[in-house]
Amino acid sequence: MAAKAGDIPSLVTRLIRGAVLWMLPALAITAMALTWFYQQSTYKLFDDPLENAITDLIAAVETGEAALPPGTLFLTREPIDPRYQRALSGRYWMIGRFQADGSLVPVRASRSLSGETLNLSDAVKVAIDNQTKSEFRTRAQGPDGEPLRVLLRSVILPNDASVVMLAAADIREPQRDIRRFAMLAVGLMLMISAAVLAAIYWQVRLGLQPIFELRQKVADVREGKVEKVDGIYPSELAPLADELNTLIDHNKDVVERARTHVSNLAHGLKTPLAVLLNEAEMSKSGLSDVVERQAKTMKRQVDHHLQRARAAARGQVVGVSTSMDETVIPLARTLERIYRDKDIDFDLSIPDGLMFRGEKRDLEELAGNLMDNACKWTKSRVSVHAQMIDGDDGFFTLTVGDDGPGLAEDQYEEALKRGARLDEATPGTGFGLPIVEDLAKAYKGDLKLGRSELGGLEVVVKLPGRL
Amino acid sequence: MRILVVEDDPDLSRQLSEALKDTGYAVDVADNGEDGHFMGDTEPYDAVILDLGLPVIDGISVLQKWRADGKTFPVLILTARDQWSEKVSGFDAGADDYLTKPFHHEELLARLRALMRRAAGHTTDSIEIGGLMVDNRAARCFVDGMPIKLTSHEFRLLSYMATHKGRVISRTELVEHIYDQDFDRDSNTIEVFVGRLRRKIGTDRIETVRGLGYRLIDPDNAAAKK
Repeated sequence: MAAKAGDIPSLVTRLIRGAVLWMLPALAITAMALTWFYQQSTYKLFDDPLENAITDLIAAVETGEAALPPGTLFLTREPIDPRYQRALSGRYWMIGRFQADGSLVPVRASRSLSGETLNLSDAVKVAIDNQTKSEFRTRAQGPDGEPLRVLLRSVILPNDASVVMLAAADIREPQRDIRRFAMLAVGLMLMISAAVLAAIYWQVRLGLQPIFELRQKVADVREGKVEKVDGIYPSELAPLADELNTLIDHNKDVVERARTHVSNLAHGLKTPLAVLLNEAEMSKSGLSDVVERQAKTMKRQVDHHLQRARAAARGQVVGVSTSMDETVIPLARTLERIYRDKDIDFDLSIPDGLMFRGEKRDLEELAGNLMDNACKWTKSRVSVHAQMIDGDDGFFTLTVGDDGPGLAEDQYEEALKRGARLDEATPGTGFGLPIVEDLAKAYKGDLKLGRSELGGLEVVVKLPGRL
Repeated sequence: MRILVVEDDPDLSRQLSEALKDTGYAVDVADNGEDGHFMGDTEPYDAVILDLGLPVIDGISVLQKWRADGKTFPVLILTARDQWSEKVSGFDAGADDYLTKPFHHEELLARLRALMRRAAGHTTDSIEIGGLMVDNRAARCFVDGMPIKLTSHEFRLLSYMATHKGRVISRTELVEHIYDQDFDRDSNTIEVFVGRLRRKIGTDRIETVRGLGYRLIDPDNAAAKK
């Protein structure tokens, strides 16, 4: 019956998990894409001067007279960037030939290379040999050990000699730039993730707020703090709230009907039983003894089942509360008449608007029995006090005291025992205290006995209530 | 003392009326709210036993109507309903006592006596007037400690006069309070009963006030006054 929580994730968890599932990959891809674009444009800017250098070299190269040995070449002018002149400046150009062993032998080179050569990967040579590709962007290690980005073009000179022309530059700075950008992008995305997650969490909470409110309201109804699931709900929840109200009403109806049936049956039997008992009492014979015995058994059964039916229905009705004033004052008025010979002086003090969170019938039974009991034993004064308990939210005490003989402390336990009667002299149905205690316990309260300020017995009952 | 029983269960009604008659009361019976209300409205009863679940008009409404019409006779509610809310509404409607079924005859009779006693302003069941003791509880009477045998009509007459001792009671009032509805009311019979009663308890205990009625008196006091 009970709904289990925990086996499946909560709505909040589900919604947030769903959001994370699409958001994190999306943001990661965004960060990667941004970095890639930045890298492309950085390299494009980086490659421009190298491109120019190669173009310059191609424009400036001369093969000279045919008489000269093949492979001889001159440059009419060199690329002008002064960094090509400074040794190991990190910016180089070179015109060279590949040897059969894959090494590149410089024919002409910038002064910055200081006579060193650059080691290129074999793939470049293979591609050039097979004439599959004539332009390359590749990496190499510079003369100073620095990583270089190399632009390389394979050129056939007018004298049919094949050379490669390359320009290279230290790649560390743009790499640093790109790395910095990537970190920035990732950092930014993480921040966005955090912000979006917080926003989603807030939005989910906000979106689900009516559900939380509804849940709270239902709990309030069950505890009798309110009578109905009221308030305004979104169109998705309004039908649910209506259904709940219908269910609450239905529950009240069912309990009430069941109780009415039992009660009608029991009360319907009481008159015939009274007749049988009276008749048997009046005509003493063998038959009347049997009738009397059986009728008494039936009476006990009726009382027992009536009590059971009342007890079974107790606490079943949700969302009812009863005004203390409207219950206790009529009871006092009635008891004053029942015990008019005693001229009972009732001292009632009940906070204005105090409500018992339970059924009127139960409160009447409870307060009625306590007050009746006090009236039975009192000389003339009965006090009925009610007040909310400080610090114990939702409970109040009902204290009924009298100025009668009271009970000794060692009699308290006996007084609360079912069926016990401490004094047979005062007519009535015994103490009624066990019934009151059962009732209080059914409402999660309790009952304590003590000595009243008036001198007699004091009964303190703790009950759920609200002001 | 004349009592009205409004109860729809014929057996219970019969038992009640028998028990009450045995105790020395004049008893009228109604088996529905309408008749009950009419009888209470037109006849001067000394007490009423009223069931709540009645046909035609329910008991609470009957009681409310009586009280609205200024009827002050004591009313004892006899019902199967034992909830406090029902007791409250019964007393609020003007009931003087409330007894739940099933019940003991003794308890019902004791409560009825208490109601009538209270209505007449007495504190005990037995009333004493100068050596004459009327015990309403046991329906017996003593003169100077000696028990006197009375018929039920004689006792009713004496009991009514004792309850209203010191007051002059008209013949009509006596007729209304000691006979039930079905009795043939020939006012002569009152004089017959008074005569018999005087022979049994002493002539000077019942004073005839010419043109007004009878009065139960303490003969010694009356003698002293003269």
